[in-house]
Amino acid sequence: MRMTKQISRRTMLRGVGVGLLLPWLEAMSPLAAFGNQSSVGVPPKRLAFVYVPNGKNMADWTPETEGAGFDLPPILQPLAPFQDKLLALTGLTADKARANGDGGGDHARAMAAFLTGAQPRKTDGANIRAGVSADQVAADRIGHKTHLSSLEIGCEPGAMAGNCDSGYSCAYASTMSWRSSTQPLPKEVDPKLVFERLFGSGSDAQRLERNTRRKSILDFVRDDSRSLTQRLGSGDVRKLDEYFSSVRDIEVRMERAKTLPPVVVPDVEVPEGPPEEYEEHIRLMGDMLVLAFQADVTRVVTFVVANEGSNRPYPFIDVPDGHHDLSHHGGDEKKKGKIREINTFHTRQFAYLLERLNSVTEGDGTLLDNSMVVYGSGNSDGNRHNHDDLPILLAGGGGGTLKTGRHVRYPAETPLNNLWLALLERMDVDVEKLGDSSGVLAGLS
Amino acid sequence: MRFGATMLFVWLVGVAYAADEAPPGFPDDVQAFLGSYCVDCHSGEDPPAGVAFDGMREAGSVVQHRRAWESALKMVQAGGMPPEEQPRPNVDEIDGFISRLRAAFDYADRHAKPNPGRVTMRRLNRVEYRNTIRDLIGVDFDPSEEFPSDNVGYGFDNIGDVLTLSPMLMERYLAAADSIAHRAIFPYPPDPRVRRAWHRGIDPRVDDYPQAAEEDEAEGPEQRELREAIVVQDWRRVSSGASEPVESGPLYRDYPWREGADYVFRARVYAKSAPPVRVAVLVYGEGLPETASEDELAGLVGEAPGPAMILKTFDVTSDDRDEPETLEIAVPPMAQWKGMALALVAPEDGEPQGEIWVQNLELEGPLDPRPDSHHRLLGRDEDEPPAERTREVLTRFLRQAYRRTPTADELRRMTSLVDSVVADGENWEAGIQLAVQATLCSPKFLFRVEPDAQPQGEGTQALDEFELASRLSYFLWSSMPDDELLDAAARGELAANIEAHTLRMLADPKSRALVESFAPQWLQIQRLATFAPDRELFPTFNDRLRAAMLTETSLFFESVMREDRSILDLIDADYTFLNERLANHYGVKAANGDPIEGDEFRRVSLPQGQRGGLLTQASVLTVTSNPTRTSPVKRGRWALEQILGEPPPPPPPDVPDLPEDEQAVGSGSIRERMEIHRKNPSCANCHKEMDAIGFAFENYDAIGAYREKDGQYDIDTAGEFADGTQFRGAADLKRIIAGRKTPFARCLTEKLLTYALGRGTESYDRPAVERIVGRLEADEYRFSALVAAIVQSDPFRKRRGAMIVGDAE
Repeated sequence: MRMTKQISRRTMLRGVGVGLLLPWLEAMSPLAAFGNQSSVGVPPKRLAFVYVPNGKNMADWTPETEGAGFDLPPILQPLAPFQDKLLALTGLTADKARANGDGGGDHARAMAAFLTGAQPRKTDGANIRAGVSADQVAADRIGHKTHLSSLEIGCEPGAMAGNCDSGYSCAYASTMSWRSSTQPLPKEVDPKLVFERLFGSGSDAQRLERNTRRKSILDFVRDDSRSLTQRLGSGDVRKLDEYFSSVRDIEVRMERAKTLPPVVVPDVEVPEGPPEEYEEHIRLMGDMLVLAFQADVTRVVTFVVANEGSNRPYPFIDVPDGHHDLSHHGGDEKKKGKIREINTFHTRQFAYLLERLNSVTEGDGTLLDNSMVVYGSGNSDGNRHNHDDLPILLAGGGGGTLKTGRHVRYPAETPLNNLWLALLERMDVDVEKLGDSSGVLAGLS
Repeated sequence: MRFGATMLFVWLVGVAYAADEAPPGFPDDVQAFLGSYCVDCHSGEDPPAGVAFDGMREAGSVVQHRRAWESALKMVQAGGMPPEEQPRPNVDEIDGFISRLRAAFDYADRHAKPNPGRVTMRRLNRVEYRNTIRDLIGVDFDPSEEFPSDNVGYGFDNIGDVLTLSPMLMERYLAAADSIAHRAIFPYPPDPRVRRAWHRGIDPRVDDYPQAAEEDEAEGPEQRELREAIVVQDWRRVSSGASEPVESGPLYRDYPWREGADYVFRARVYAKSAPPVRVAVLVYGEGLPETASEDELAGLVGEAPGPAMILKTFDVTSDDRDEPETLEIAVPPMAQWKGMALALVAPEDGEPQGEIWVQNLELEGPLDPRPDSHHRLLGRDEDEPPAERTREVLTRFLRQAYRRTPTADELRRMTSLVDSVVADGENWEAGIQLAVQATLCSPKFLFRVEPDAQPQGEGTQALDEFELASRLSYFLWSSMPDDELLDAAARGELAANIEAHTLRMLADPKSRALVESFAPQWLQIQRLATFAPDRELFPTFNDRLRAAMLTETSLFFESVMREDRSILDLIDADYTFLNERLANHYGVKAANGDPIEGDEFRRVSLPQGQRGGLLTQASVLTVTSNPTRTSPVKRGRWALEQILGEPPPPPPPDVPDLPEDEQAVGSGSIRERMEIHRKNPSCANCHKEMDAIGFAFENYDAIGAYREKDGQYDIDTAGEFADGTQFRGAADLKRIIAGRKTPFARCLTEKLLTYALGRGTESYDRPAVERIVGRLEADEYRFSALVAAIVQSDPFRKRRGAMIVGDAE
């Protein structure tokens, strides 16, 4: 594909190991004011959610002992350099990912309920509904402080064909972020487009001219379409609302741009389209996440490494079988071994992301210290499709609000959404309840 | 949706229950089933899943509580209910319960108030956006790299409810409109491009002369001498006495040209021999409007580089290098040409040889560098008063963009937008450009709006003519209506002539959208694009084979559509389309026994049986396999869902998968290992038929190649349908499915109707579906008959108000 130039360089680097920085990131000057140690002010906190599908080989995931100094199980081994900067959280439950009378469809529900804590409505299309996701709650409250309220990225586009999971629309299994209970937010999978979204394209003058033009267009279409609403049914009105709120969003962004410090466009090679190799793709999207935080373009990111129920094979780590097929391992040790390999491949990529975040200096610490990066799945054991005891990691220091380096086990049936409340609280977003939360999760600090 | 083909149904408007047929009460066995297995838990104030059967024991409740009953049926069928720890019904009890319930559904459907359903306003999906821009603006804009992928519902990516519009997509719409408007309209046209070739860039190339100067040989003094005789400073000699084309001419140059555009050609020359020296300017290439005769060409020195036309002959009179002359000639608009040449006119007998020197050749143009789209959108009549012109241009453009007549108010607003640009000091074209850009961002363009006078009403109404035109064009073309449709709609003549329009549209090349959008989604073969069979087990699989598989299916589906064959040919046909790669994969030769060679696909006759029909095409067989082996379950499920229209319910939770480590593989054939499905009663119900259908395809491996054995194991392809009909192997199965006609016809009808409507089919659509299927037989199941019946069905032509009737959500 079109990535050849970067692939070759990255391929060279990969052999050396995760700890190595990419030259183009390393060379970067601080992008935001707080990146500069001499500047005053406290760096803001950032929140990211990284999703990996089909549950885990839980036996090789769950640490044996609680508290500090736990031994890293095989799947977590790649995270050894960051053990003191992360929390392993076990025992959390996404109850709304369960059938609760709706029958099959655990993959669709696992993704749709993960950040929403809401029972996704079982429908192949008509009236899709879940709930507002935790990231969007944060985006709604603190989004005005940055150029972009939030960023949604991933490596697999929405499903291309077929019913995705037992009568659930494909929107469910491929979307982590829900702007409202009826509006799933698609993710961007092309690093080039993510970069352009973050930093724009063209010269300043071109951008200014373009924005002036767009402003007048948005004014026009809004006025011109206002009367449309009166002649539409409720479902249509909902669609039109999506339109108007998106228009509003763009206007707000243009407004904000006038008062916020300008986005510093990093002096890096603009990425090209999605790399062909999966690992390169994950890492490049991870780089985009880091850039977004580093330049303070947004403080809220969701990153779907693969869609829930993904049946992607992993031949490059000698697992030619489809991930989802394998996850129904039926207790077969060989299959479980392959699942472990896939799980470990994913944590290796997560380690890369943490390394990148940790390499950016901010104030007295690093960008990682000021971030909270959740890593996990809405399925626990892919074979059982159970949604309790979910595999969840929380990395980063949350600006000093987390006591990391520990494994914390919570009582059975503790809602996962309690964790989201605890993170939102640390983002200075007070929410009493989100989805099926029953309170703010304790034990993190 | 299973009810007999011959079953007659009564259609009574507006009456919930007919007098001629008593509503079937729930017989004792259903009551008993509910009593024994359901009501203990599902009753009272706060029942599990909100379903209480104590209030649902009348058959009439299937109308009121349809959703609850449908899910009850699925749960029981799937073995999910009653839960394991509770007393469980035996297989006969389950079958009885299911068939009674279905009978009640059928009765309710047949006697329900007619309901054409309501489609949620559809946003253009990526394919529709691209095609619409192509037809509206004349610009090819590929959104697949810019817009996020469209969500899929009911198996298709054009479902109104799931086509959401995110802020990110809105940003992309703005950017796309910007880019498209700037590509389509040039308010300030740049100067025409001038391409000037100097002596070395003119053919025949001096650098290639003399031929003796071979690559590995340094240029010797002799070669240099020859060359220096032809090129002096930056002038090049052309002499009628020379023998080599490089010196005798004609000199020529290929140019990238645009169809129908004006150009000017120039050559800068002076005469070395006694002036005047006659030269001819030629245009050459295939497809010229006329060509010079052989005699005419014989009068020139050297040979033209192709069929040529003499544009003009000149007398070169200047003999002074310091005051050369420029030969200039207008190149008329042509549909096709290749390049320009300059030739000496051969001297008559006795006349001296002519010699000229040429400094450069140049082509200027297109003289109007604005693209066709510019003229198409703005019209060519530039003398009209601006106000008139604005009104004319906007009326035409908005009618196409909004797919209906724009209102006076809309025109007024858009006109003021244009005027405001002009008032800012820009020209009129810039005003129109902004209007086009704004239109492409309007919800009236981005969505297919079907407004209602009384949107919240309950009543049913026919779509207006323009709405119908859009439904037709997006169904068959995935694009906007053309002028013919819009004109018919404006005259109010579309609905009355819908069949004729449909046939015309099917015959149009744009109907290829059905082949490209509908077929692969229906067959779910898009997944093939990212499918990765195990490389070690299937070393012959590569991207070329993958592409060939998709091409076969596409060509085959298109042949059924274009030749208006029976849709049953999709199941069982005696031909397909193959290239060498795929023919080798299949082990198929041409009818005369010759091998099939080359990358080109061609139609190949097949003996009945092994191949032929979609079910045994490699595309389908591969996407329904695992990366390492075949999956009879996936194939069976695929056939039930996509071909027979009887989707099996999802498996109950906690089902262990087949053991697949080496030992287990060694413990029996895949068929033996799957016997576990039949032993377990909660599996048997669905897997009996599903697995049997899948096993019928076991002669095809996981990438669709034919095989006699599965590794060391013999293959047993025998099986039976739920009704006891037996089959052996894929050929048998295909014959039976094609022979039964109705189940497949109904399934394809539902899929195509879903795609046409942009919503899932519901229980209230059943009468319409049955009517469509009922019409097919008389027309020998022709593809066009199916399409015609769909566009004439109530769900396609009517809409009910947004008020929800019946079952609460």
